[in-house]
Amino acid sequence: MPITVPDVVAERGKADARRHRDKQREAIRKRLPEIISEEAIITRREKGKVVKIPIREIQIPIFRHGSAKGRAVGAGQGEGGVGDVIGRRPGPGNQPGKKGQAGSEPGVDYIETEVEIEELIEMMLEDLGLPRLEEKNVREIIVDLGYKIRGTEHTGPYVLLDRKKTAKEGMRRFWHMLRALERDSGKDELLCYCALKQSGGIYAEALKLLRDKVVTEQAKEIIPFPILHADDMRFHKIVKNTALHSRAVVFALMDVSGSMDTEKKYFARSMLFWLVEFLRKLYERVEIRFIIHHATARLVPEEEFFSTGESGGTVCASSYELVDGLIESEYPASSWNIYVWHSSDGDDFYPDRSVVALKKLFERKINMFGYCDIRPGEERGERASGLLNSFVEAFQLAREKEGNLPVYVSHHEDVPLLGLQLRQKEDILPALKAFLKQDRWEE
Amino acid sequence: MLTPKELGRMNALEKRIKDIAEEFGLHTTEIDFEVVSARRMIEAMAYHFPTNISHWSYGRDYDRIRTIYEHTGGGIPYEVVWNFERPRAYLVANNPFALNVLTIAHVFGHVDFFLRNKYLQHGRSFADIAEEARHAAVKFRAYEDSYGKDAVEKIIDAGMSLQWHQNLDPFYEEQDEETVRTYLMQTERERLRALQNLSPTARKASEAEKKAIETRLKALRRKTPPEPVFDILKYAIDRAPLLEDWERDILRFIRNQARSLAPNRRTQLLNEGWATYWHARIMRRLFDEGLLTAEEHGMYLDFHAKVTQANKGDLNVYSVGPAIYEYVKLRWDKGQFGREYEDCTDPLKKEQWNTNAMKGAEKIFEVAEYYTSRMAAEEFFTPEFVHSQKLYIYEAERDEETGEIVYRIVTRDPEVIREIFKNSYTLYGLPTVAVVDGNYSDRGEWYLRHHYHGEELLPSYRNGVMAHLYYLWRRPVYLESIVEEKPKLFSYDGSRHSEST
Repeated sequence: MPITVPDVVAERGKADARRHRDKQREAIRKRLPEIISEEAIITRREKGKVVKIPIREIQIPIFRHGSAKGRAVGAGQGEGGVGDVIGRRPGPGNQPGKKGQAGSEPGVDYIETEVEIEELIEMMLEDLGLPRLEEKNVREIIVDLGYKIRGTEHTGPYVLLDRKKTAKEGMRRFWHMLRALERDSGKDELLCYCALKQSGGIYAEALKLLRDKVVTEQAKEIIPFPILHADDMRFHKIVKNTALHSRAVVFALMDVSGSMDTEKKYFARSMLFWLVEFLRKLYERVEIRFIIHHATARLVPEEEFFSTGESGGTVCASSYELVDGLIESEYPASSWNIYVWHSSDGDDFYPDRSVVALKKLFERKINMFGYCDIRPGEERGERASGLLNSFVEAFQLAREKEGNLPVYVSHHEDVPLLGLQLRQKEDILPALKAFLKQDRWEE
Repeated sequence: MLTPKELGRMNALEKRIKDIAEEFGLHTTEIDFEVVSARRMIEAMAYHFPTNISHWSYGRDYDRIRTIYEHTGGGIPYEVVWNFERPRAYLVANNPFALNVLTIAHVFGHVDFFLRNKYLQHGRSFADIAEEARHAAVKFRAYEDSYGKDAVEKIIDAGMSLQWHQNLDPFYEEQDEETVRTYLMQTERERLRALQNLSPTARKASEAEKKAIETRLKALRRKTPPEPVFDILKYAIDRAPLLEDWERDILRFIRNQARSLAPNRRTQLLNEGWATYWHARIMRRLFDEGLLTAEEHGMYLDFHAKVTQANKGDLNVYSVGPAIYEYVKLRWDKGQFGREYEDCTDPLKKEQWNTNAMKGAEKIFEVAEYYTSRMAAEEFFTPEFVHSQKLYIYEAERDEETGEIVYRIVTRDPEVIREIFKNSYTLYGLPTVAVVDGNYSDRGEWYLRHHYHGEELLPSYRNGVMAHLYYLWRRPVYLESIVEEKPKLFSYDGSRHSEST
């Protein structure tokens, strides 16, 4: 018979498919600097934890035609005149402002791979050589929750008497006494019981009644009753209720003076987004307070934080002073991990005043103060902004490198300061790495 | 699952289909049909053979086909048939009955093509490749244990990167270097002798030529390869200085597999066209004979329409393929061929041309027998055909504003389209690259040359292949090519890509 139904054989495709997906993950890892600065990730409206990343299927390279400048060519069938668009799809690494080449690799479709933000963070951490974030890295804080009942004790006010437990102890004592009476008097159980009952639960008396043979109490069966001594009383134990909580507050500070344009705000938003994502992994609870400032500072809701365009002079100290006040009134360092993150182009009118205000913040034992010097497109290096330079001088910051990105850090434990110069999108990943390293050092 | 009753009916239909195929003049033979799960079928599609070695690229294809099938309901796997000594095909257990009948009809079309077409007849000489793949799957797993998974994967990657660089002529008989060298040296010696027979004055004049021949002869003694070869993998297997035996074994398998699959690749358009052309006729006959219910026939028609749908972004071989045969049949029936017809310049007269030659049936069998896809494109992608098929060429462009890739029709010019198809069907549209020297600069380095025909090599891919070439040769590799009409020499030394002019 030519048509047959063969035996089922084991599936082989899955393992090889997994290998391909591992390779894709590897490809994502390589593109991390580009991916994490994708505007689409941080501006997406829905709060989902999953991001879609267009990624190619991994190809085995072959010699193929096509120049670097040439455009991809394919053949198709259908209606339409010359010049008509027959289709479109999201481009690779949707980077506004970056002139790209149209798919110089024709016929290879991007497939959208879904990656969780959490997974991206794991990749960044692995990339950084840091193990998974664990709770021990986090400063836990004792939170007072009032009182709670925790077990029992032998003494206490009568209102806290644990009736059930006390009765149980009393019953135990009853049976113990009964057995002891039987043993000591040699009389039968029922008679011992009657003696015990007659004596009102007092052992010595009951034994005497038995020995003197003057038991008058009559009973047909044993009905146990609790015999309570002071020892048998059980009271609820009351303890103070505290819990170890890990929580953090992020003060997001942004300069909204006239010079802070959309691009600078994009950097600020991008850094903040990832920062908060990291902190969320670390702490059970993360609060973010948004503060904008020009010459004066004020608290604003999130939407306003990124959309506000104001003008006026730049007095950074005003925002530090506002944070100082908030820490005092709402977020004492004894119960909060405090992060202050300031984004500005650093053209501060009174850098000295900022230094003074910052010193006060450090005295409050905040976890970290991060300063992002955002000047897109500018050369980086020694030409830091006025504000950053003041910090470098005042706090004797050391200039170190994270990848190609210069970072300014203090080696004093009392000065948890991290200064960054963001000049291009690719700086965001090393900036985040620098932040993570600093934070752990602080711990 | 098929019930025993359905299985019985399907067997009866298979017998009838075979008879009908023979009536239509198709070659037939015993075919093993196996009823399998959809996943098994998808595996077979991704792995090319019933059992094959393990590799992530197969896994990738498996994943893609499975995802499309399981999540969109589209892409029903319905056709896998192997050109084995006794052809073998799969039917999917949970596909609709009508679809499985269609598959059987379609497979009979393919089997005729296997038996008829010169290239596929050639492919049948590799019939034991499936057996080899089965052994390789076991053997390579042992290699993984001995030499590590990564090392095995790397050599497979490198092999696959070059597997389609075979000899341009599929019927080329392999020759060893010594045979080629002896032949070339003989030719040179004959030239030398010819010079000696010249008159004394002429001999003097040809002194320089004599010197040149002598130099060439001397070089030929050591030159490898004696003349450029296109079978890059074969050269690496035979000559790469530092490959280990197990690595050569893996490469040999990859090369054999590619060679066995090559005839299919060269004829895919005509092969799928042929099977589709015939399954339509066989299915109609089954319905006419009352062997399929109206409902089953309707389901078949729906599916047939889906499969043969024109595709905006790719040439659908199930659509254009059968159209070629329809077109050829019509023209040869009307006598629209030959000198007189070709030379006629009056479009109206040409369109109405009808000599009632009725040569169509004969001609399509001839096409199936002797043609490759490239030959078909050259001869039948006429302006008339290109227009009727609404073929166009599109380009991808980046929309700077949205960052999207935009596809735009750039031409419907039949001449341009024919050229593009011809080229893309020549050696699968691959650039021709030859091994020129296996002892470059006398340092045992590897030198290859890209034969430039107006199209450059794509840089990102070029560098990727160079890395694979290096992995095989383990000494610096060179590639001569043309960029912006100027010669360029690319090289890779294991850590750095460089180029010079």
